[in-house]
This record gives sequence, structure tokens and C-alpha cells, in this order.
Amino acid sequence: MRLLHLVNGGEDLGRSRWFWIGFAAVILALVALPLYQTEFEASNASYYLLNIPLALGLSMLWGYCGILSFGQVAYFGIAGYAYGVIAGNLTETSWGPLVGSVGGLLLCAAVGAIFGYFVFFGRVQGWIVPILTLVFTLLLETFLGQTAGYQWRIGAVQLGGYNGMTGIPPFQIGNFIFQGYAFYFFALSLTVAVYFISRVLMNAHFGKIMIAIREDVLRTETLGYDVRFYQLGVFVLAAMLAGLSGLLYVQWGNYITPSQVGLLPAALPVIWVAVGGRNRLLAVAIATYLLNWINYTLSEAGNQYAPVIMGALLLLVMLFFPRGIIVAIAELRWPWRRDVTPVSVQDRSA
Amino acid sequence: MDTLGLLASILYQFGTNAAFLLLAAIGLVVILGMMNIINLAHGELMMMGAYIATIVTHRGIPFPLAVLLAFLLVAMFGAALERVIIRRFYGHELGALVVTWGISLIMGQGTLLFFGPFMPSIGIPGGSFSLGAYSFATYWIVLIGVSAILIAALWWIYQNTRFGLMARATMQKAAMAEALGVNTDRVYMLTFALGSGLAGACGALLAPTVSISPLMGQQFVAPAFITVVVGGAANVLLGAIGSSLLLSAVKTPVGLLFGAFIGTVALLLTALIIIRLMPNGVSFYLQRFTERRVGA
Repeated sequence: MRLLHLVNGGEDLGRSRWFWIGFAAVILALVALPLYQTEFEASNASYYLLNIPLALGLSMLWGYCGILSFGQVAYFGIAGYAYGVIAGNLTETSWGPLVGSVGGLLLCAAVGAIFGYFVFFGRVQGWIVPILTLVFTLLLETFLGQTAGYQWRIGAVQLGGYNGMTGIPPFQIGNFIFQGYAFYFFALSLTVAVYFISRVLMNAHFGKIMIAIREDVLRTETLGYDVRFYQLGVFVLAAMLAGLSGLLYVQWGNYITPSQVGLLPAALPVIWVAVGGRNRLLAVAIATYLLNWINYTLSEAGNQYAPVIMGALLLLVMLFFPRGIIVAIAELRWPWRRDVTPVSVQDRSA
Repeated sequence: MDTLGLLASILYQFGTNAAFLLLAAIGLVVILGMMNIINLAHGELMMMGAYIATIVTHRGIPFPLAVLLAFLLVAMFGAALERVIIRRFYGHELGALVVTWGISLIMGQGTLLFFGPFMPSIGIPGGSFSLGAYSFATYWIVLIGVSAILIAALWWIYQNTRFGLMARATMQKAAMAEALGVNTDRVYMLTFALGSGLAGACGALLAPTVSISPLMGQQFVAPAFITVVVGGAANVLLGAIGSSLLLSAVKTPVGLLFGAFIGTVALLLTALIIIRLMPNGVSFYLQRFTERRVGA
């Protein structure tokens, strides 16, 4: 009961009965996707879905806690590479992928914690954090790019430089290998689970502290909260969610290259989150799915303008819909709407 | 003779590293210090300057003139950018960061579409000379001098001209400056144009030493921002000098021993440690030190 109350709290879009009916309908449509789409299309849909945890992590970090990070893809890459190395070395056993997944997530948490310690316990000013995350990402890309030689071998796995790491094993539990429709359901259930956990977390006490930090660090501190600790906490959480997306990505594509950690991929999550509406998780999830779909459709059609269009979209959203397009649509006064969703604390951070 | 050559070579490496950091950062420093806007399109403005200089040099215009042209054109572009977009984001630090990043994405990818992935670069002007077994490029020696002159000129502008006075007043308290008749809107536009123009000129100056490509701006991003972060915002010019010297002192030996990439990693680690030890950057301590000296 208490959990239900938290799910339905005011820090995300949609609280009415009709909203939940619509939500259930969308989930149902996604679950029934194999009935009306081919395995190839389902595989594409899994790709759009698997980016959502990363975006939700960035949403919590930026939209709720006011810490902007350009470096979420670094954790995406770290988890992907770690999984590739661990699972690629444990091919004889059936639990290799599971160990690899756990290892990837733990590595993300560890790197995030070390980086976050320096940043947050150093009480770095707000604008320096995104710069440092960006520099970290660029360095990671440079490092991975120069691992082409034969000496960059961990056990049986080659890091492969800009050719990337190939032949990464898919996810597997026991003898069951997640591929095709099975992987689609795996990604879908993880994404929905991450969404609900995030929503509960942001409506719970933890989320209120996040918002308090976003609004006024000093005030939150004088109320007795160790701000540094909470900032570190949400940073590590976001790093692990980005890592989860990275794991799903390599399990989906069996392949990762340093360009996944480059400047262009680093820009995309920020665009998804800004376009959706950074302090509304559902809006971010929807925008992530749609923008990935648009991006894929554009580049599939051989359209080289896709990155420019994405950049222009970001520019327009920042100029005209600073709270996000999806949020703007959701908060329109529809004629049939009786109550206006109570807007929680107004975001003054950005 | 050879120890002298070695010494000169190390000093030369140190100087070029410091000059590179300073040139990569200076446009950014002006905009950040005066306007508190973090311009993530900085690398792309440098790229723009490099493209302008390269194109007009290929057409036979002398290189110094090309640098001047890059300064003027990129400054005009910066002024337009400020009028249309940037001025909506004053006081919104993170918003400005995100929107300038969008600009950088459009500029980088747009250049890629328009000019293709490569452009023949211009050769390094001036020859080289050698001292013992070590050789030195004249152009880099000139660049070291140019970066020193640039800093001195900026210092002079901000301390001795009417514009500098108004800019410093605006920076200190915009509302008060406005009440005293300073057109702060204009000051912001000119400052952004100056910062952009400097980025363009420095991009043009560094153009002969790097390969020209639409995404070349990326290589300046890490060094430029590390320099600014280490420098801090207390006194940006002082900070830029201090941090580029300090970072060069780290990068030169590490880079000589372990290669360029580890040198850059060492830069990031140094930045992290310095931020942990002095969150306000080098400039805060440098300024306090100089103030004490002056006060005593």
C-alpha cells in the first residue's frame, strides 16, 4: 500500500486512473509486439528500449539532483567492455555472462564512486562537474582507441582498438540464451523494472532530498543532510544504470567500439533527457524511445544530417521548451481534463 | 654542449606545452571569467578559425593576415551567436552548457557535411634550427611569444581601457554597473565576440601544427577545459597563466617519458587532485598571494 502510494507520488507524470489505463495499454502493446512485428523489428525495438536505463539515470542526476553529466556513455562503455572481457574469458561455463554482467555493474559503481569522491567531496562548483565528466569520457575514448595492438589482450579477449571488441557472448542463464524475441522481453522487463524503481525512489524520501539539493545546496545542508554523500549516491546510481544500458547493448549487438564512448554518443543522452523533460522520468523514457527510433530511421535512410538534426532539436528545445517537449504536451490543458496535475517544486536549476 | 642542448630542448618542450594550453584556453577563459558562461562550442570556434585561415592561406593570402581575418570573422560569428541564443541563458549555468553543446554538435557535424572529412593543411611557416643534437621549430618559438603577448594585451585591455573598466564593473555587479550607465548588454556581446574571436585566432595560429578536420575541435576540448578548471574563476587571466605553466610542468616530463596519451591522462589526474586540494582553483591562491604581497 505504501509502495503504491510512492509509485503514484507527485514527482513524475501521470497520476489519474485514465493515465494508468493508458500506461497499461502501452505496456500491453509492447508485450504483444512479437504478435505483429518481425524478429528484426523486435530487435530494433530492444535497441530503443535498452537506452532507457541510461537516460533515466541521467534524468535523476540532472533533472532531480541538478548535477549535469556529459559522461554517462563512459560508464556505458566501461560496463560493455568489462562484460566482453569477463564473459569472453568464461566461455566454457554457462554462467559466464551472469558473472560478466555483475562484474560490469560493479566496475561501473567503483569507477563512479572514485570519480564522484573527488568531485563531490572536493565540493567542486556546479559547472566543473559536467566538464570533468566530458574530459573523462574523451580520455576513455582515446585510451580504448589505442588498444589495437596484440599486447592489449586480456586472457582470450582482444580489446581491438578502433576495430572494436567483437564476438561478445549474448546473455545466458543456465542453458537459455537470450536472443531475438527472448532478448526483447529481457530488455523490456528490465527497462520497466528500472522505471518503476526510479519512480518509487524519486517519490520517496531520497527523491525529496535530491530535489532539495537541486533547489538549494546550502539550505539542504543546514537541514542536516550530508549533501556530498547523497550526490555521490545518485552519481553512482546513474553510473550503474548507464552500465546496465551498456551491458544490454553488448548483449544485443555482441560488439562494441570506442566510438560508442565518443563525443557524439555522449551528446545523445543529454538530448533525450532535455527533449523529454529532465525532471519527469516518464517523459524521458518516452523521448528516449522515440528519438532513438527517429535517429535510427534517419541514419538507415542514409541521411547524414541525423547528428545535425539532433543538435538543432536540442537547441530548439532549450530555447522554446526548457522544461521539455513531452512535459509541455503533458501539461497542456486538455478540454476533458478536470484537475491540473499538481506541479511539485518548480525547477530553478537550469 | 649537449647538456645545454638537452636543457634547451626540455625548456622548449615545456614552453610549447604551456603555449598550447594557453592558446587552447584563452578564448574560453575570457568568456567564462567575464560572463560565467561555459562555452562548449569553444573547440568548434577554434575549428572555424583554423578552417578560415587554411582556406584563405591556400588562396595565397599571407598567414598573419589570415590569422587576423580568422579573428574578425569568428568574432562576428560569436556576436551573432550571442545575440540570437546565448543571451537567453545568462544566469542559467547548466542551460548555457547544454545549449552551447548543441551549437558545437551542429557546427562540427555541419562542417563535416559541407567540407568533407579532410582538408589539406598548411605547412608550418618558418623553418627550424638546431642546437647540438636537438632541433627546434621557429614557429613554436614564435607561438610562445605570441601567447605571452596575447595575455599581456588582454591584461592591458581590461586594466587600462574604458571597455575593460566597464567589463570589470559588469562582472563585479551587473545591476550596479547598469545603474551607473554601463550598457551591460553591449558589454556581454562584445565580451562574447572577443572570446570567440580569440578562439578563432588561436585556432588559426595552431592550424599549421595540427591536422585540419571538422572534428579537430575535440582535441582542444580536454586541454582547454582542464586548464580553465585548474585555473579557477577567481582571477581568470592569472589562473590561466598559473595553470598552463603548472600543467605543462606535469605534462612535459610525463609526456617525454611515457608518450602523449599518458601525458594527457596525467593532466586529468592533476586536475582532479588540484580540485580536491584547492576547490577554487590555482587563481584563488595566486590572487591571495599577490594581494598579500601588495598589501604588505
